[in-house]
Amino acid sequence: MLFKLAVRNSKRSRKENGLFFASLLVSIVAFYVLLSFPRQDVMIFLKRMESDAVNKLMGMVPIFFGMTLFLLFFLIYFASKFQLERRRHEFGVCLMMGMRRKKLFAMLMMEDLESSMVSLLIGIPIAVLISELISLVTARLVGMGIVGHSFSFSAEAVLATAAGFIAIKFAAFLILSGKIAKSQIGSLLNDKTQEVKKQKPVLVYISALILGIGCLAWAYASAISGGAWRSIRTMGLTVILGLMGTFLLFYGLRVVIGFLAEHGRTRQLHIFNFRQIEENVIHRRTLLAVASLLMLAALCCFGAGVSIARVQGKAETHVLDYTFYEYKSSTENIRETLETCGLASNFSELFEIRIGHIRTTDDYDNAFQMDTVFEALSAMPQSVERDVIINNLGYESYPYLISQSGYNKLLSAAGLPLVELGEHEMAVYMDKEFTGYERERIMNEVLKTRPEVLLDGEQWHLTGSVQKTDIVTDRAISLSFALIIPDDAFLYYTKGDGEAYLNGILDKEAVSGMGLMNAILTMNERLGTTGIHYESYLQNMGRQLFYVVASSYITIYLAVIFLVIANTILGVQFLMGQQKVSRRYVTLVHLGAAYETICSAAKKQINWFFGLPIAVSLVSSMFGVRSLFSGILSSQNRGNIAELMIVSAAMILLLFVIECIYIAAVKRLSSRYLLTLMMPKREE
Amino acid sequence: MEPILEVEALKKVYGRAANRTTALNGISFQVMKGEFLGIMGSSGSGKSTLLNCIATVISADSGKILMDKTPVQNLKGAALAEYRGKKIGYLFQNFELLDNLTGRENILLPLSIHNVSEKESGERLSRLASYLEIEEVLDKFPAQMSGGQKQRIAAARALILNPSMVLADEPTGALDSKNANTLMTKLAGMNEDEDTTILMVTHDCSAASFCKRILFIRDGELFHELRRDVPGESRTSFYERIVNVVACMGGGSANVI
Repeated sequence: MLFKLAVRNSKRSRKENGLFFASLLVSIVAFYVLLSFPRQDVMIFLKRMESDAVNKLMGMVPIFFGMTLFLLFFLIYFASKFQLERRRHEFGVCLMMGMRRKKLFAMLMMEDLESSMVSLLIGIPIAVLISELISLVTARLVGMGIVGHSFSFSAEAVLATAAGFIAIKFAAFLILSGKIAKSQIGSLLNDKTQEVKKQKPVLVYISALILGIGCLAWAYASAISGGAWRSIRTMGLTVILGLMGTFLLFYGLRVVIGFLAEHGRTRQLHIFNFRQIEENVIHRRTLLAVASLLMLAALCCFGAGVSIARVQGKAETHVLDYTFYEYKSSTENIRETLETCGLASNFSELFEIRIGHIRTTDDYDNAFQMDTVFEALSAMPQSVERDVIINNLGYESYPYLISQSGYNKLLSAAGLPLVELGEHEMAVYMDKEFTGYERERIMNEVLKTRPEVLLDGEQWHLTGSVQKTDIVTDRAISLSFALIIPDDAFLYYTKGDGEAYLNGILDKEAVSGMGLMNAILTMNERLGTTGIHYESYLQNMGRQLFYVVASSYITIYLAVIFLVIANTILGVQFLMGQQKVSRRYVTLVHLGAAYETICSAAKKQINWFFGLPIAVSLVSSMFGVRSLFSGILSSQNRGNIAELMIVSAAMILLLFVIECIYIAAVKRLSSRYLLTLMMPKREE
Repeated sequence: MEPILEVEALKKVYGRAANRTTALNGISFQVMKGEFLGIMGSSGSGKSTLLNCIATVISADSGKILMDKTPVQNLKGAALAEYRGKKIGYLFQNFELLDNLTGRENILLPLSIHNVSEKESGERLSRLASYLEIEEVLDKFPAQMSGGQKQRIAAARALILNPSMVLADEPTGALDSKNANTLMTKLAGMNEDEDTTILMVTHDCSAASFCKRILFIRDGELFHELRRDVPGESRTSFYERIVNVVACMGGGSANVI
């Protein structure tokens, strides 16, 4: 009998509250997608390229899982609370009729288990499908023909998903059923409306509102000025001010809404709507603030994550396919090995690039002096970027030298203008990673003055513009600052004691049939047998791909989780509140309000209930995303901030569309509920 | 005098087969303009069903309800909303004030529903507030009011749009005797002074004694009718007559008054 009742109740719960059931399914999908991440096609592919980084990322999956469990616990808790709250009267009646609390607990437990099982049975296949879809889409998007798709089903992920889901569901059940068990029968039977909260003097709320706006303004200013990133203390202060500001803002907002209620027009249930909204803000200010912060986190994750992934993954025009190197050895040996193995013919170009240190002096602190450069920089208008250049160049008293001929071969292969050097002239090389658009512009301004510098006491002039073309394929060497000098001067200053890198570009004809990636994969297999040290473009691309996948996957995942939790909490709370004050709607019907009128009133309330946290999070996200760019982006990409902000704005707009869809769903549920109030119950 | 409300052979059945209950069994009566009509009956007699049918909260199975010669059962959409808001004013037993609105906002709620400008009813609000002695609680929330004040606010809300008829469902049911007496005096005064038509459902004989005419319902049928038309008859005397009928209603016999 008890089992039958539990099954029937569980079925009724699913039928009556689709939002609750949907939140259970979302949790299951979220768990499985995260846990099956290592089996995604792209990750399997990347493991071959960037095994260390991928392993580190995979090592973080349990941490993310724990975090997701923690976050989704609240989702389940609120959804279950809604589900149980609406049945308080029923529990009261059961207890009144002599049902023992233990039996009631057992019945609820059975219901909970039944609904968990049904959720798992439906949720797991959906989760597997979604996970496969993500795997397939990412494989197609980034694959370029090398990432193949194969169906993967992770039994471990299924077990961990089921265990995690049941654990948080059970924890939420224990807390909620404990609360019900402690309640008096009278309070269960009495469907009390919301308690009237004591009003404080208006001045308190106005002060809270002003203080909240002040805190937020301070946090925003600190975020966009970059001050927040100065130290852990300033970051902590910014975050605390942001949190405090949000909570105070929602605490004080009732004054604004109260004002709107009292001074607005009387038509279209204006006063009723604003009093309802005011009540929601008063009773659920903490919840609104938390939802707003979750949305902010989602918008920042999504906006910044996608933008950064886009920048990291931007396909740069690459020049080199291979770099071969042997420590302290001539590149001639490598070239011979390549020819012996019949591999040299696959390259349209194989050229050497040589770098080395100044060996004509032991005075490392003064080997290179560029006082005129510092003077020129100091004379320029003060800016953060200028100060960074001055600071960085302060360490360049013993720079690397690059031979002009090797570098020009690289430029020639890239189709770029060659470096022309006159008598005692040298060019400046700076790595892309350390030189953003603004820094490059400042340096070029300085180079225009053809500043005089001293190399081991000898006068030279810096000329041309900053050179940034990568001298190797990937990361065989990275030079933040170097000097390109004529070959004879290179030999003189390095005393022939330099390092040589043999760069190769694959023959286009050999590549055309199979595609560059497959050609590199084939070449890598053949090179594996020669014992030559090399790096290929595939590693470079793999790293970029890793950045794209890791940053976009994690940020989008977190964004979706935050968004789902925030929206479900808001939706559930609104609908729960609406049911609690259902008598008010019935009164409106008695007073002559048509169904359309009360639906429109409820819709207006939903717009405000969702709109307030969304608006606050939208404003905060503009500053949050901008701050993330300042703090996370490398200097190379800082010049693109305007472009990134546009991408972020587009992403935020996309999330806003998702919000609108969610709001529409809640409106629909609300209208469906209000329809039930139009049908009167027999009261006598 | 023209009837404002005509109820003809109204029938309403709840449930099916074995659970079938006849709440109204072909009941017919008229309410004249300016009349204060009471409907009395024991619990389950069908009096609330009758009021709900007139208020269009539920629909009757058969029969007619005519308000100013217009059949209300055929009303739909805007016409139905207009009927509920402007033709009738509803006074609930439990006041049904919206606890998050002030007294003034509760009274003005029908204006908001029917998109009537506040200016038009401003004067009426002042007059009602003054007459019902609720001026000092207009800006208070229901939680800060006594039961009597709440019901007078509810009465002002029912009257704010100057409806053709006020439907009162056990208006004294949740009040103590003093507040009940005050409310009934005010309603009777409105009826006398402003010619307000009132149809009140009650099982409180004291409240019913303020009416000009009373219909007694038993098992969904009209059982008896009392009129307070004896010249010089005091309310106490009318009360005694009401009590006598109520006593007979419990006896189970037919019209034995």
